[in-house]
Amino acid sequence: MPDTGIGASVKRKEDYRFLTGKGHYTDDLNRPGQLYACFLRSPLAHAQVKSVNADEARKLDGVVAIFTGQDMADDGVGSLPCGWVVTDRHGEPHKAPPHYPLVRDKARYVGDQVAMVIAESQARAREAADLIEVDYEELDPVIDMSEAERATQIHEEAPGNLCFDWELGDKSATDEAFAKADTVAKLDLVNNRLVPNAMEPRAAIGEYDAGSDSYTVYSTSQNPHLLRLILCAFVLNLPETKVRVVAPDVGGGFGSKIFAYAEETACTWASRKVGRPVKWTAERGESFLTDAHGRDHITHVELALDNSGKFLGLKVDTKANLGAYLSSFSTCVPTYLYGTLLAGQYTTPAIHCNVKGMFTNTAPVDAYRGAGRPEATYVVERIVEVAARELGMDPAELRRKNFIQPEQFPYQTPVALNYDTGDYEPALDKALQMIDYKNFSQRRTESERNGKLRGIGFSAYIEACGLAPSAVVGSLGAGVGLWESAQVRFNATGTVSVFTGSHSHGQGHETTFSQLAADRLGIPYENVEIVHGDTGQIPMGMGTYGSRSLAVGGSAISKACDKVIEKGRKIAAHLLEASPDDVEFKDGKFTVSGTDKSKTMAEIAFTAYVPHNYPEGLEPGLDETAFYDPLNFTYPAGVHIAEVEIDPDTGITEIKDWVAVDDFGRVMNPMIVEGQVHGGIAQGVGQALYENCVYDKESGQLVTGSYMDYCMPRADNFPNFRVDMTVSECTHNPLGVKGCGEAGAIAAPAALMNAVTDALGQEIDMPASPEKVWRIAQTRIQQAAE
Amino acid sequence: MEMTGEYRIEAPRDIVWEALNDPEILRNCIPGCEELDKTDEHSFEAKVKAKVGPVNSRFTGSVSLSNMNPPESYTISGEGKGGAAGFAKGSADVHLQAENDQVTVLTYKANAKVGGKLAQLGSRLIDGTAQKMASEFFSEFERQVSEKYALSSSAAAADTADATTPPAEEATAASTSQTSDQATEPPVGESAEASPAAAASQSTSSQQAAPGRGETSSTKQSAGGLPPAVWIGGAAIIVVLLLILFV
Repeated sequence: MPDTGIGASVKRKEDYRFLTGKGHYTDDLNRPGQLYACFLRSPLAHAQVKSVNADEARKLDGVVAIFTGQDMADDGVGSLPCGWVVTDRHGEPHKAPPHYPLVRDKARYVGDQVAMVIAESQARAREAADLIEVDYEELDPVIDMSEAERATQIHEEAPGNLCFDWELGDKSATDEAFAKADTVAKLDLVNNRLVPNAMEPRAAIGEYDAGSDSYTVYSTSQNPHLLRLILCAFVLNLPETKVRVVAPDVGGGFGSKIFAYAEETACTWASRKVGRPVKWTAERGESFLTDAHGRDHITHVELALDNSGKFLGLKVDTKANLGAYLSSFSTCVPTYLYGTLLAGQYTTPAIHCNVKGMFTNTAPVDAYRGAGRPEATYVVERIVEVAARELGMDPAELRRKNFIQPEQFPYQTPVALNYDTGDYEPALDKALQMIDYKNFSQRRTESERNGKLRGIGFSAYIEACGLAPSAVVGSLGAGVGLWESAQVRFNATGTVSVFTGSHSHGQGHETTFSQLAADRLGIPYENVEIVHGDTGQIPMGMGTYGSRSLAVGGSAISKACDKVIEKGRKIAAHLLEASPDDVEFKDGKFTVSGTDKSKTMAEIAFTAYVPHNYPEGLEPGLDETAFYDPLNFTYPAGVHIAEVEIDPDTGITEIKDWVAVDDFGRVMNPMIVEGQVHGGIAQGVGQALYENCVYDKESGQLVTGSYMDYCMPRADNFPNFRVDMTVSECTHNPLGVKGCGEAGAIAAPAALMNAVTDALGQEIDMPASPEKVWRIAQTRIQQAAE
Repeated sequence: MEMTGEYRIEAPRDIVWEALNDPEILRNCIPGCEELDKTDEHSFEAKVKAKVGPVNSRFTGSVSLSNMNPPESYTISGEGKGGAAGFAKGSADVHLQAENDQVTVLTYKANAKVGGKLAQLGSRLIDGTAQKMASEFFSEFERQVSEKYALSSSAAAADTADATTPPAEEATAASTSQTSDQATEPPVGESAEASPAAAASQSTSSQQAAPGRGETSSTKQSAGGLPPAVWIGGAAIIVVLLLILFV
């Protein structure tokens, strides 16, 4: 195995600067003459803003400007758009009420931006914000989405607070399947709302240069080109040539930093108004209030089976909370990233899914690690487990019985997707063996002897990632293409800069992409520099989310490398006095077939920039750009098994063991992949046992607004995850890779909740907090005693 | 958010009612109270510095009273703003019950909303802070009321024993509340802790007090010689502060 090539567990080159405090995060940057912004946020969930009086605040020394929604309206600033138009089951596009960076009429959630204060220091800006008097006329807030349709209307565009009423699948075929069923398993589920909690809070600096009449925006974005596109084309009406977005080191995003937010928009706009750079960094409390939240579904699901355990049909009814405004991609998450995954790994012939997207007076909800796919997996894998219990079947065998078989690929599901490849049984077998399933009942008996409750739970997940074929998503309503770009630029000395439209905010792109380029080009790993996150440097790209960096961004790099090699072949043929057709490229050397004549890649690069002896008609330089638009999603899949032990006296769930067998196709860096799996499982465990974002149902106040009330998982909550792989290579991208960033978060909640409910013998909603678990366990003990 | 409380105070109900409506007592008992001003007959404003967990701010509260049923009960509604710290608003029903001639039981039932940072950061701490501030308030209140009552009782006793005692001394039970620990000092304008305004109002009320009024008169005169607005306002403030600080 090579030390630094594809397949090697190379240590992450970016970690040195991260771990030694030498990263360049947005808040580390300071621009000459910079001012500070503070946003006055609504303390009410739903209120008419009747007046904003900033007279006292303006008098404060050091206050430079105070802006309201009216100032932005007067300047023609537009609304933050939602980039995916979902057409509902009546053929209507989703309701798209405006989302202004500063409110113009009503505040619609606690934290909504009512005014922007710009001052010489952060402290002064905050102090001034405190002096602003806002006259609110309080309106009834809509918090509980199950009652939202009958509640006060939040947007005049959306009667019944309904954004869309969407469906997927064949309803009549599904009804027929249910009519023939021997058994129908039913379940009501809550997919709890989550706060993203990136380690680095959001931050932005807007800087206007009057000389060139252009803007530079420094932002904690996962997606700098998309931010530029939204700022220019939709909100501020500027040419893209006049705006540069730089997203330097970013400390985690999990989706929440994909989107264009009010704050960076306002800082950009205001920098021209005040003629100086304007910086804003979120306090942790602001992150809780305003980072787009994740999940938040309530679902009723029914699975029809015959007596042998074959799945006949699946019905899913979901209400999805979208929050007060539509975030950049919020409509596609509970629809196309959710309903399309409801087939799971199974041959269920008929599926129907209905999703109602609801507006409520809460922070906007959008993509969060997995985005729609964890919700789908949770529905499928929980109802399969319930069905197994009702039929008295082994849950592993029920799954096996319904798996799509290897010879059925490519497999067309009844919910739009076409799985290119997969092989599910080997993953299940491996996982069963790893967790020593056959001796589980013995371990359970031992636990019982010790007064503990033991449970085991499965999750045979599938996801569609590597977002995404542009034509497909375009036909479903996406406003953007989801290809990726790469530029591979050789320097004269043989070093290479790779410019990628993917954005790294913790995933280790600088390492993996270097491995990829070094391997493809046959040059030392150290000679490759990855450049990302700056629209002023890199070709237009589409950022990082949906486990797309390697499958789409890596494929673009691979294609650009191919172009470089093709040009290098011509140069080499000239130097070696051979026909290009006879020149082979391998391990960084161009060789004339059947001879020992060769030229290294570095020699070719030097020749390309010092073309004294050069092929006629060939351009100098060795610098190639490629764009890659995937042909399909990729479909990572696998089996996670969790084993838990519950202490009925404390309600504490201890994860005794966790095995994950994933099929990510070809793996570039096993250590990074394993790290991604670990992180994903940790987030999934967080959702299942600890995390819960709660708004007070009456007042709409965020009551889990700090780490005192919002419980994050910690290292000592986890066992050592045992991770293994199976490999079926993706059939349609040049690398055979699938994507691993979200898998853990997709698989984990269902596996863990299946284990918890197995131990308790009763349904329980996430998070399975000690209090809830304790109550159930105590009741069970009492019942057993009686 | 709902909050209820019950406190047993060793003083007759009228005395408690009176004290509950005495702005000076309230100001002294409310932790962090900096100011309280009457804005009209049935409303008051108070400024209180308070810390709820990590939220440290100066709150401005305004209050109004209704359902007045002296000396037994009233409803108080109010709203407090703490700038960036957020807000609190709500109402409370306050009820006084005489357990016997010497002991009164105060109960309240408050319904309140908090918002902004106070709700976001303090939600776990609010109950605890409320308990702490309530107990601080009521222990101080209880102390002041009991002392005042003891003082007025002994003054009345002295009055009975010695008819030459000037009537003004024990006339205003409310004003003596400020004689927190210096019972030997003259009851009027004596308290070192009393603000000048309090002292002024106290001496005014002392002067207005009818001569010869002993402890029985104080039970009759619920206002204790103070203008009704003062006691209304005072009561208002305490409950608002309860609302602001305790919920």
